[in-house]
Amino acid sequence: MSQVLVITSGKGGVGKTTTTANIGTGLALYKQRKVVMVDADIGLRNLDVVMGLENRIVYDLVDVTHGLCRLKQALIRDKRFENLYLLPAAQTKDKTAVTPEQMEKLCDELRKEFDYVLIDCPAGIEQGFKNAIAGADKAIIVTTPEVSAVRDADRIVGLLEASGFEEPKLLINRIRPDMVKRGDMMSIDDMIDILAIELLGVVPEDEKIVVSTNRGEPAVADESSRAGQAYRNITRRIEGEEVPLMTLEEVEPTFMDKLRMLFGLKNRTAKGDGAKWTF
Amino acid sequence: MALDPVVIKGTRDGITIIIERYGDFERVKNFIYEKLESGKDFFAGGTARVKVKNGFLSDEEYMKLEQLLKNYNMSLKKQPYPRSYIFPEQYRSPILLLKRTIRSGQKISYKGTVVILGDVNPGSEVVACGDILVMGVLRGMAHAGADGDISAIVAAFRLQPTQLRIAGVISRPPEEKQEVPRFPEVARLKDKTIVIEPYYQLNFNSIKRKQEGIK
Ligand SMILES: Nc1ncnc2c1ncn2[C@@H]1O[C@H](COP(=O)(O)OP(=O)(O)O)[C@@H](O)[C@H]1O
Ligand SMILES: [Mg+2]
Repeated sequence: MSQVLVITSGKGGVGKTTTTANIGTGLALYKQRKVVMVDADIGLRNLDVVMGLENRIVYDLVDVTHGLCRLKQALIRDKRFENLYLLPAAQTKDKTAVTPEQMEKLCDELRKEFDYVLIDCPAGIEQGFKNAIAGADKAIIVTTPEVSAVRDADRIVGLLEASGFEEPKLLINRIRPDMVKRGDMMSIDDMIDILAIELLGVVPEDEKIVVSTNRGEPAVADESSRAGQAYRNITRRIEGEEVPLMTLEEVEPTFMDKLRMLFGLKNRTAKGDGAKWTF
Repeated sequence: MALDPVVIKGTRDGITIIIERYGDFERVKNFIYEKLESGKDFFAGGTARVKVKNGFLSDEEYMKLEQLLKNYNMSLKKQPYPRSYIFPEQYRSPILLLKRTIRSGQKISYKGTVVILGDVNPGSEVVACGDILVMGVLRGMAHAGADGDISAIVAAFRLQPTQLRIAGVISRPPEEKQEVPRFPEVARLKDKTIVIEPYYQLNFNSIKRKQEGIK
């Protein structure tokens, strides 16, 4: 039974493309799944660059939906990872070049051939977002531990709920345990408190992501990368395996965290009386 | 907006008295009395019919009304049962119950009271002409009594709004970071400022008042 997953966020630059590339590679490399990654960020493509496949593009998504080529002609097979394919976005055309109906049709066609169809969603909540979610069954929402990113993620959850998506999953990217420890960064708990959706995984901030992005080699294949390890775990969770969350293995809990866990308390204390607010 | 409890309409052979029954009978009677008194000559004589919305009149009340009308030479037209017309529509404070979390970018506007079984997240807005009750965490903007009701309240299991408004008063939490109380709170207007009080305290006070009343 194949799945169509959309990787979305609302805010740009939080790691949607990185996540799509790593999950796609992870599922193909470690789970021998037949995977296609669809770059729905039309006009701002970069999934091909992150995958190091830029120089092999001939046709793109818009060409397929407009009937200028057959689907098979536009699919790029990744020679390093068997079963991994990319459907690139057009760089020149804009987002209105495709309709949600066309995307839905495309996803259903891909569904016949692949175990997983991963859709890399553009930022924002406009046409491009609507296109990207049109054919998807499930959604992964990526956020970073920033107030604005979480706010946008919440917006996306609301929109997904309104379009009938059940239980979108949360991926927290670029967490820095040291900063969380100092109280300078939102904690995982803070984010889950607000978003109230299931956590798929936590990916730490990792220089190796930058290196691998520039080389066009997803970090998930790098055994020494911590972010890669996080993505390997996420891959397994998508496959339905129970893998303990990264929190404890990746993010060293502080003494206070341990205490809190012990007593089931959060980082708050009660205040005696109601504060009088000022205008 | 205070609705008149009674509307009197002229008919061919007299008047029709339409009673909006959600107050006490004395108020209704007084209102009719004032109306009749101010238009003595106009109303004298003829038949009166009574219609009751949102409730009914007891036989005793009916008789009192008959007595009153007699003073103006009007006879209350005997009506077969039922004498009351119960309208299913709520007049005062309709309630909107939302069993979900209100997320960033979403806005709820309602002419009555809003009850939310979920959170109100940052970046969202809840505007109600009546009260606002949040059974989860209120982190967004809430405006109760939006059309001017200064008795409106905002109550939440956890009250951490970005901004609060009651009637025409706007308030926001203190700038400096504060410990977040871990109990339900209620916001209401007191001397044109919004005050936040623990829910249990509010409850305690009202219980105390009741006890004192009994003494
Ligand atoms: N876990 C991480 N650690 C370090 N850098 C990261 C991480 N995730 C993403 N980045 C960097 O952040 C930038 C934006 O990521 P990208 O996946 O293109 O975001 P989006 O597709 O959401 O716009 C890229 O330069 C990427 O290398
Ligand atoms: Mg991207």
